[in-house]
Amino acid sequence: MNAILTVDGLSKKFGGVRAVDGCSLAVEQGTITGLIGPNGSGKTTVFNIITGYLRGDEGAVAFAGRDVTGFDTGRLYRHGLSRTFQQARVFPQLTVLENLVVAGGYSLWHLFSRRIRRADRERAEYLLAEFRLAAMAEAPAAELSYGQRKLLEFAAVLMSEPRLVLLDEPTAGVNPVMIETMEHHVRERHAAGTTFLIVEHDMTFVMRLCDPIVVLDAGRPIFSGSPAAVQHSPVVLDAYLGS
Amino acid sequence: MSSVDASVERASGALRGAAAIAGPLRGAVFFGALIVTPMFGLQHWVLNMLVFVLMFAVMSSAWNLVGGFAGYPSLGHAAFFGIGAYTIGLIFRNHALTNGYEPFLWLPVIGLVGALIGWPIAAISMRTRADVFAIVTITFLFVVQTLAFNLRGITGGSQGFAMPIAPFPAATFELPFYYVLLALLAFTAGLTFAIIRSKLGLSLASVRADEDKARGIGVPTTGVKVLAFSISVGLTAMVGGVWAYYESFVYPQFAVDPLITIAIVLMTFLGGRATLWGPIVGAFILEGGQQYLAYELGGSQFYLIAYALVFLLIMLFLPRGILPTIAERRRQRVRRSTGGATPPPSLLPASPMRPAALDGDGRTSGINMRSAQAKS
Repeated sequence: MNAILTVDGLSKKFGGVRAVDGCSLAVEQGTITGLIGPNGSGKTTVFNIITGYLRGDEGAVAFAGRDVTGFDTGRLYRHGLSRTFQQARVFPQLTVLENLVVAGGYSLWHLFSRRIRRADRERAEYLLAEFRLAAMAEAPAAELSYGQRKLLEFAAVLMSEPRLVLLDEPTAGVNPVMIETMEHHVRERHAAGTTFLIVEHDMTFVMRLCDPIVVLDAGRPIFSGSPAAVQHSPVVLDAYLGS
Repeated sequence: MSSVDASVERASGALRGAAAIAGPLRGAVFFGALIVTPMFGLQHWVLNMLVFVLMFAVMSSAWNLVGGFAGYPSLGHAAFFGIGAYTIGLIFRNHALTNGYEPFLWLPVIGLVGALIGWPIAAISMRTRADVFAIVTITFLFVVQTLAFNLRGITGGSQGFAMPIAPFPAATFELPFYYVLLALLAFTAGLTFAIIRSKLGLSLASVRADEDKARGIGVPTTGVKVLAFSISVGLTAMVGGVWAYYESFVYPQFAVDPLITIAIVLMTFLGGRATLWGPIVGAFILEGGQQYLAYELGGSQFYLIAYALVFLLIMLFLPRGILPTIAERRRQRVRRSTGGATPPPSLLPASPMRPAALDGDGRTSGINMRSAQAKS
């Protein structure tokens, strides 16, 4: 197996709190890897460091065989590593279609081309059809429900044809029907060759979808294995319930 | 269901089609009217007023590129007005005019100078956001102001210095300035229109909405905002150049005046930020109103009270700016007439108990509306 993402000895302190403490993990190519852990165990901080939104104090991140420690968020995105946010972040005053097009990735030269080119539109409409958002294409994203915004954010990061997508709590705050929709889309994209790393609190969702699962506690991994192994691990139970 | 969809589709399609024609048509009517306006034998004070209205219309449109579209409220633009004024002044200070139009030919150079000075200023100050950015840019304004007052060898200090008077006939003295500014306004509006329709406009909108997210999805955020700032201050410097020539005198009290910055920001807010016509409408109302009231109400300071009253009334009734408020009302009317986002009756279950788990079925909107009613 070859790892598409390796994190080695990552640490991050906020004041006196060690949010991430010597965290090492690897995401194998072609998996849907789950990252779980109690609140405050450092999952989102790890995400933020991997994707360049935060700078780690120590440690290294390698993506697709190259050291990307300290890379800018946009540069990582252009290299094929993209993410979504816990609170769906879309551009409310742009239309649904524009939200996709703006994520399509373009060089400075393209700034002087049309706002939405034919090729952009074709690519975006394909994704909108896949995510059943086509009817809303011309509506401002502000008019979408929260669940639809999460779908839109997910669809938008796929515009750049990423190799690895990090989803930060894709099911938080959305209804059960939408959770199934989200799962369906992850599976579909996974089948098409995209690797996923998912932070999630909804255990049934994680157990259904992810393999392997990495459990984080106090800023470092304490266990890693299949869903069945995680469920029977005393270390994991300890972390969640306290000993 | 399909018939409802189809009618909504038709309505929005017709709207888009109408908008595609309405935009250029509106521009042609507006600029056509301004081209013929001076032919009605207007008095000098009216033309003088229009010259200043056009100056502010160009500057607020230019400010809108960075303050409106990029969402970076610069308070330093008056510094670039001053830079343009002093640059043209220094070029023509000891230079006899052979041709009255010569200084106008230098305007592109003035614009370039403004943009080149603006580039590093933007690259540094745009590392900050929002209120901090406003403070940093206004600090730059005060630095330039201090230099203008104190570099006496170059600027003549608080006395300023004269440049040759434009050799235009007295009867039509204002006209060349009027038409040059009108051309500059047409250029600025055309540029704004092109930016809105380009990827640059899309990128700026994403920067305004959520810059960190925009950067995270590969938008070259630093590039677009620095570019917008440079274009914006380059245009502002050109207006400063026209002003210096019009007055044939450059003095720091007006050339580097914080009130100019405040005025162009107010005009843009009044007309509507991040819209094509908003800043122009705002400039015509505020600068036109101010100049007119100053003329009519003359020596007393009463005109300032009347001016403030106009501004307060508009802000009271159109708080988001004139054009966005009008556009919003029109959208609501269209939505009402086409049935809007309400699902067609066939989709709603017959039972009074609606499923609680349809996303986007308007539960949250309903709660928001009810709590808004409760508050009022």
